[in-house]
Amino acid sequence: MKKSLSIILSLMLVVALLAGCSGGTTSKSSIEKMTPGSNLSFKVGMVTDAGTIDDKSFNQGTWEGVVQAGLDFGLETKYLKPSGTTQAEYLTEIGNLYDAGYKFIVCPGFKFETTIFEAQTKYPDAKFVLIDGYPHTGDYNPVVGSNVVSIFFAENESGFYAGLAAALQLKTGEVGFIGGMEIPAVQKFNWGFQQGIKYANDTYDTTITMNAENFVYQGSFDNVAAGQQLAAGMFDKGVDAIFCAAGGVGVGAINEAKQRANNGEKVWIIGVDVDQYSEGIYDGTKSIILTSAMKKIDQASYDMILDETFNRFQGGQILTFDSTNGGVGIPVENPNLDKSVVTKVQDAFDKVVAGTIVVAAEQGNLFK
Amino acid sequence: MKKELNSATKSIIATLLGLLAGAILMISIGSNPFEGFSYLFKGGLMNIERIGNSIATATTLILTGLSVAFAFKTGLFNIGVSGQMIIGGLCATIIGLKVDMARPLLLFVMLLVAILGGAIWGIIPGLLKAKFNVHEVVSTIMMNWIALWVTYYTVQTFLKDVQETQSADLQIYAQLKVPWLTELFNGSSINLGIFIALLAVIFVKIILDKTTLGFELKAVGFNKEAARCNGIAVNRNVILSMMIAGALAGLAGLTFYTGFAKNIQIGILPSQGFDGIAVALLGVTSPFGVLIASLFFGVLHTGKGFMSAMTDIPPQIADTIIAIIIYFTATSLLIQRVWTKILRKRDNKKTEEGGKN
Repeated sequence: MKKSLSIILSLMLVVALLAGCSGGTTSKSSIEKMTPGSNLSFKVGMVTDAGTIDDKSFNQGTWEGVVQAGLDFGLETKYLKPSGTTQAEYLTEIGNLYDAGYKFIVCPGFKFETTIFEAQTKYPDAKFVLIDGYPHTGDYNPVVGSNVVSIFFAENESGFYAGLAAALQLKTGEVGFIGGMEIPAVQKFNWGFQQGIKYANDTYDTTITMNAENFVYQGSFDNVAAGQQLAAGMFDKGVDAIFCAAGGVGVGAINEAKQRANNGEKVWIIGVDVDQYSEGIYDGTKSIILTSAMKKIDQASYDMILDETFNRFQGGQILTFDSTNGGVGIPVENPNLDKSVVTKVQDAFDKVVAGTIVVAAEQGNLFK
Repeated sequence: MKKELNSATKSIIATLLGLLAGAILMISIGSNPFEGFSYLFKGGLMNIERIGNSIATATTLILTGLSVAFAFKTGLFNIGVSGQMIIGGLCATIIGLKVDMARPLLLFVMLLVAILGGAIWGIIPGLLKAKFNVHEVVSTIMMNWIALWVTYYTVQTFLKDVQETQSADLQIYAQLKVPWLTELFNGSSINLGIFIALLAVIFVKIILDKTTLGFELKAVGFNKEAARCNGIAVNRNVILSMMIAGALAGLAGLTFYTGFAKNIQIGILPSQGFDGIAVALLGVTSPFGVLIASLFFGVLHTGKGFMSAMTDIPPQIADTIIAIIIYFTATSLLIQRVWTKILRKRDNKKTEEGGKN
């Protein structure tokens, strides 16, 4: 009874997805091939990366997708937080999930790469989703097992839209960047952001300036105090908006901006990974979050579980979520952006999808 | 009636009280504590692989616990275990990555440099304490941060591979993992480190109980001034104590970064350094006590994930149990004091009554 109800519910959801999902990965042709509701008996587990489940970013995004899928398909879900971030600790938690019957396991973060390499052969009847990484032995040659899907995002495109939106909204002034660790995902956000600013300056005659000294990597994802100091330094030097791709370090920058905004200063933060608008709320209703460079992690984890329910898990593949499948972009609602800005960003989005704008994922002659 | 509660008894009482508090917490969130505890311990002990993982987790804790306990004996509070550990691990990793020689020799050299690195990181606060009376709590905490950023720089500049956030992986031959041990424990992360840890337990036991050095160290710990009056070189012993504590922490780093893990991740102070304080407290700063407390914590750390996978009990409950145990261990001194006071009062009464008659 319960099962049939959940099948009906999931069918309804698929219909809803068909109707409402504009940017999802579920294209029409693939949906036609679906055989509805054939697998709803698996349990979904997740192992968190460094940081907590409510990190407003990577772990949270992944988990929200898992929870949503669990609700929609009537699946049991569970997350475990390892004691540390070594391979041994990750493997222990994967083992815990596996032994408890959670054989569909989602792992966010590149730190899981060698762990999943071990796990894919150790637990051949389990399935793994690895976000932002691919399994390898430590030599970076991808060995994606038939029970593993690897997911990457085009952060450069996401950063590009955020940069473009910021430039169009501010029209003039200076922007900066605070990164966490200097890892590819963060670097690509940065490089895309700079390209977005340049594109706006070239195409829409905005006059936004950028200085190399205001493009920094703090070196961690959890040093809130350092984020606040960096942001304070930049704002003092006259920077108007800072793009933070730095987890907890970004939280410090947001706090600094909120304080300054409360004192009447006009400063902005550009959020990352998820829509951080609500994080930047001060004075009741206003927010210092101009917009956010989103990576739709929740959608990625949701889609992979959806695939499994239809027995079409794309094992062995490395998938990329970019503009063409709606995996990146700025939020739907942007209270701090003018309508015209949003329209222009949408315009650029369409051009990226069409291929007339190409956002480089390499440094080239950009700041590091 | 016994005047002194046995220190082991006190630890056991503290542990039981901690578990009891955990049970109350489980009941308060609507879970069955018997079920919870059975999964907690099953998770740490259910099969040979899990036992291996529990031992592997305990390995590093034994050494960090010994480090804290050793300094305690000389009346020093070593909060710098994390930093000493990371430096020991860094030194060993440098040798493991850059030097090419026969495996037994390589591992031996790695062991030596880990001891050396940790000892240097311990000796600096020791010197500061001896020469300038800088409190070791302050200086060891500062040394932690110096160690963190030294490692950050060294790894990023000399040791990284592709990823910016960690050193290159050590080759199999430069790790403490050995196939026979891994296979014996069914693919667990147990490694040669456990033998190092066991030897260290014996070593510390002998130093403290059978040597003049140990006697002097303890004398300084009991009463610095009395020790000085009796011709014991207090400053020298403070420095020596911190050096040995640092060396033990360096060994912990060796077992963690080249045994349990196979690379150094930057930007993270290892939590084992702080868990060492807990282990030392629960083990009443005796080497064998530390060993048993570490194994117990190893089981808890390995089993808590399984408990929360099997039930609705969050893993934080296991952490809370650990915290409460430490709390009761610390307050057991208080309990002892209350106990002694009661006894004394009764004795006084008896003597008074005796006087009347």
